[in-house]
Amino acid sequence: MNSSASTRQESDRLASKSWLKSLLARPEIGPIGVMLLLFGMLGYFSIPAGEFSLNPFAGEGFNALGIRNNLRVIAQLGIIALGAGLLIIAGEFDLSIGSMIGFAGACMAMVLRWGFAIVIPYISFEGGMHVEFFTLFYIDNVSPIGAIMITMCFTLFFGWLQGFIVVRSGLPSFIVTLGGLFFLRGLTEVSLRAFNHRPDQTKGATTVTELPDIKNIIDVPGHGEMERESAKALPEADLMAILKDVPADTIASITERLQYTAQRVADAKTQIMATKGVKPLERALENAIESGNETMAETIRNKIDTFVVNPVVPKEITDIDVARAYIDSISSARPIANFFGGDILEPIFDFLYFPVDWNTNNFGNQFAPGLYSCVMIWVILAILCYVVLSRTQAGNWIYSTGGNLQAAKANGVPTDRVKISLFVFSAFCATIFATCQVFEVNTADAAKGNLKELEAIAAAVIGGIVMTGGFGTVVGIIVGAFIFGLAKEAFFYIPGIDGSFYRVFLGLVIIASALLNENIRKRIMGTL
Amino acid sequence: MADNATTPLIETRGLVKKFGSFTALNGVDLTVYPGEVHALLGDNGAGKSTLIKILSGVFKPTDGEIIVEGRPVSFASPRDATNAGIGTVYQDLALNALTSVTRNFFLGREITHFSSPFGLLKMGEMDRIATEEMAKIGINVADPNQPVGTMSGGQRQTLAIARAIYFGAKVLILDEPTSALGQKQQMEVLKTIRKVQKLGDIAIILITHNEIHARLIADRFTFLSLGEVIGRGTSKELEGDDIKRLMAGGAEIGDLAKELAD
Repeated sequence: MNSSASTRQESDRLASKSWLKSLLARPEIGPIGVMLLLFGMLGYFSIPAGEFSLNPFAGEGFNALGIRNNLRVIAQLGIIALGAGLLIIAGEFDLSIGSMIGFAGACMAMVLRWGFAIVIPYISFEGGMHVEFFTLFYIDNVSPIGAIMITMCFTLFFGWLQGFIVVRSGLPSFIVTLGGLFFLRGLTEVSLRAFNHRPDQTKGATTVTELPDIKNIIDVPGHGEMERESAKALPEADLMAILKDVPADTIASITERLQYTAQRVADAKTQIMATKGVKPLERALENAIESGNETMAETIRNKIDTFVVNPVVPKEITDIDVARAYIDSISSARPIANFFGGDILEPIFDFLYFPVDWNTNNFGNQFAPGLYSCVMIWVILAILCYVVLSRTQAGNWIYSTGGNLQAAKANGVPTDRVKISLFVFSAFCATIFATCQVFEVNTADAAKGNLKELEAIAAAVIGGIVMTGGFGTVVGIIVGAFIFGLAKEAFFYIPGIDGSFYRVFLGLVIIASALLNENIRKRIMGTL
Repeated sequence: MADNATTPLIETRGLVKKFGSFTALNGVDLTVYPGEVHALLGDNGAGKSTLIKILSGVFKPTDGEIIVEGRPVSFASPRDATNAGIGTVYQDLALNALTSVTRNFFLGREITHFSSPFGLLKMGEMDRIATEEMAKIGINVADPNQPVGTMSGGQRQTLAIARAIYFGAKVLILDEPTSALGQKQQMEVLKTIRKVQKLGDIAIILITHNEIHARLIADRFTFLSLGEVIGRGTSKELEGDDIKRLMAGGAEIGDLAKELAD
């Protein structure tokens, strides 16, 4: 044996890997590529027709409203994908997420609308045998936090139960949660129909409407708590009275802001009128040039050059307008409802209305008030999940539970507890999703969340989670949610193409991702 | 070294294990001293696996006693055995190939900032300890963050052994550590065992089928056949043919050669 061969070690073979190769072995690299592609597509196709812009992101997909709507879709999916993804890393599935969303939303809306009671049914023999109910307690007027807590009790218990059945029976979680899918959806419809009907109806509805706009309940000086819209509809005298106690500089800044908006709106109108007025002249010019009538063409050209419209006069700002704008600025009296269903980053969106056209619609008004609150909740949850999975003992336990269950058990990892906790976390994420939805739109529907479990699993797979467990990252899950949401939007901006092509595209991406994930996993296992 | 030791590290007296009417072990005595490699040899079904499963707390013996450092012990679970200082390295090694060397080294016993599953891991400290401990018994890990899947079978053995030692194993039970490996890696594992032996205070019980490996590395031998000890001795006391004969469960190799020749 020569000396150079004897000093060579097994580990030297690994060190020869190039940085490019090690970069390609990262589980997130493929999905990030697809995400960038979709960003490009959405940017390119959302450039308005016939307009050339050096900034490819100036189109509708990326203006303030586009960002607001796209990020909402992405964040909602992202929230449940975190729960689904972590569970898959631990080697189990949850197919009940979609039904859990429907159940949680219905439960929360019903508690908000009719209150919460615990009743004990018993058989009474007085006047013939029949069932009567003894009300143990009844709370009317449950606060948003109360409704969330009550709902969490039900959903987290159900998540725990599913996990408990899976680890105790050893049944595949696919079957157990498939049962959960049907059970919860049915339970939601049954209980909605049972509680939710007016006296004149025999059958109840499976939707809860007529909820107040809870996040927009404000404390109006001199009137107490009321919804923002009804406060703005108060008699003019009342509005003036409210304004009386407002500091002068607040009034000044509101007035200035309203005047600015009025000016922008007037400018936009002027612009529209100018474009409309010039159009017939331009057409006449074309005709004149075609027919070779030089004199006529010259006359029309002169007319176009000297064409002016009278600028539209901005709307006068009255005290009533100021009072209504002031009511808009009062912060919510239900901070929890606002936390889940309100808007965030309003100052930034407000600020960006001024200098650039990014947040201005065609009529000169502000496009988007801010981002949906669910985006912030997604960010918070994602950071927590990232820290737990990559930086804590619990994370190591999750990886090992999914990667090699026997090894984890042999080393004293409480694998059953890990799995049950993640089933509970999956139910938690579904409940958060439902909470955001209920407080955003103030309705609940038994059909909410349909097929969301599959979307969540798809997003996780696209993000590099291996279905057999033990492999994947939170960054991957986030990217997967981005891809799914962006694809959903981007295809609607491609002119002349059926929007449903996004499903065709996603189908291909899912299969491609799964192949890529398996390849990376094998490379890491050393079997490729 | 082994010959001079006075107190055995681990000792079994009249160990009996019955599964219903089947007697797997019928009164086995085993004595292991610190700093020695004790080869446990025998054919398939001789009772080797049953014996090590009793020692590592998986099975409870029907009769007989286990004495660790002079004190009788009784194990209710593998955890108890681990706490008593008996570390078992199984054939499948109990490793998660998808995660890093460090994460496997500390699996289930991670060092965290607060003693809570949600306490942040002290990754730097864990990397350092894992690298040091593996270097002690002969393997330099280039990157403690490399996935275990990229390591050779020999390196995985070293990782599992280093882990058992670091977490307090005084008796190391190695279950066929060379059986699934190529030639070069088998040598690596034997070198690792030698290094552990040189640490001086750890006893190794080596279960193997490979007579050559046993003769290369073991200080003392115990031969099992049909649940009973049919021979024992130090490497000096036993001659080559004895080992061969006893491994085959007491059959004469000569007889076998004759039988095959017919």
